[in-house]
Amino acid sequence: MWNFIHDRRSEIAFNTYQHALLVFYAVVIATILAVVIAVVITRIRGLDVAANQVSAIALTIPSFALVGLLLPVVHLGPTIGLVAVAFYAVWPILRNAVVGLQGVDPILLESARGMGMSEATVLWRVRLPLAWPVILAGIRISTQMSMGIAAIASYALGPGLGTYIFTGLSKGGVAANGLNYTVVAIVGIVVVALIADGLLVLLGRLTVSKGIR
Amino acid sequence: MSRRGIVVELLVPVVLVVLILGGYVWWRETANLNPTELRQLDWATIRGEAWEHIKLTVVSSVLVVLIAVPLGVVLTRRGMTWLSPIAVGIANIGQSAPSIGLIVLFYIWLNVHPFWTGFRVTVLTLTLYGILPVLRNTITGLRGVDRTLVEAARGLGMSAPARLLRVELPLALPVIMAGVRTTLILVVGTATLATFIDGGGLGDTINSGIQLYQFSVMVAGAVLVVALALVVEWVGRVLELVIRPRGV
Repeated sequence: MWNFIHDRRSEIAFNTYQHALLVFYAVVIATILAVVIAVVITRIRGLDVAANQVSAIALTIPSFALVGLLLPVVHLGPTIGLVAVAFYAVWPILRNAVVGLQGVDPILLESARGMGMSEATVLWRVRLPLAWPVILAGIRISTQMSMGIAAIASYALGPGLGTYIFTGLSKGGVAANGLNYTVVAIVGIVVVALIADGLLVLLGRLTVSKGIR
Repeated sequence: MSRRGIVVELLVPVVLVVLILGGYVWWRETANLNPTELRQLDWATIRGEAWEHIKLTVVSSVLVVLIAVPLGVVLTRRGMTWLSPIAVGIANIGQSAPSIGLIVLFYIWLNVHPFWTGFRVTVLTLTLYGILPVLRNTITGLRGVDRTLVEAARGLGMSAPARLLRVELPLALPVIMAGVRTTLILVVGTATLATFIDGGGLGDTINSGIQLYQFSVMVAGAVLVVALALVVEWVGRVLELVIRPRGV
């Protein structure tokens, strides 16, 4: 095992980096989409119920099925990975963003308007900062989920550590390094997931407004 | 939730599944399919795969409940509570490992023995993978039971097993069932990966579609899997409503 890793250390590092990068891009895209959608949803009455229904249904779609659905539309490997991972990452963030934005005390909004803030300023300076800890919790859930989905998505020639799992599978037996490939991929993904979660906690410490910490 | 809300929530998936399956049958019967598509989307094949998929899901979910609920009960008994964060922590790390990786790993490890067929390895992986939601919710649910009620049951002269079976578990049941539903969704989705280790299921159709580069076959497989997942999710919701004890 040690020799296996040592011989391929740059390749493993590259695949790990690709895996992390794929998840990072997907979660960033998902966060932007989810927050924008949540802002719209919380303005229109009744839409939050519909959004919950849609996200419950969307999350039941098996990720391997989504790969099958996306292949005919997006032919390129890495793009499929990005689209598939971002698709799943949206829902937990959306749910939390809606809850977070709705949880802002109306009295605070009232006083913000009373201070002469425009709607956009209220959103940017009051509502989003107050909802941010809840949104961030959603981002953490999405990031964890994305790690495994990225591995499945890499079956469609996508990048990342998932490719090692499929290499391991095709090589099979213990003698032919199949086990090594698979173990490296699993451990690598768990480590990346742990580091990402740690970084998100750190991000929370740095970005959550002092008044509500 | 209001009665109307529940009706809508139960109706939407049914309508969706009927639309999806109806659309599929209509397409399958009217489209001009090439020989590969006809072979891959043969009704008997699809039926067999769907049945395997359901078997994988049901067997694993039943095993999860049989393992996770007693484990959750043990971990909430007096003197054992210190163990529960450790158990949940282990289950948490297990879940952050990618499902596809675990299936392949167990397959490479165990398939040297003829007992461990693709089907059994998949059931093993799905069971391990599905334990966390039920375990966590069993612990949360049992902890959430009002201590004064347990005390009252004790005052009525109930023994410890009677208190557990007639007071604590019924009160915790809604929370436990929410965990079972999460597990069902997780398991039915992950069962598509059984195809990689010859475990069967509807993942086979998606995978042959990808292997043969037949878009129609992969989309058909994906659509059928989505329909099955919606059905399983729906069954979970109905179970949740039916099993809930009156008065809770």
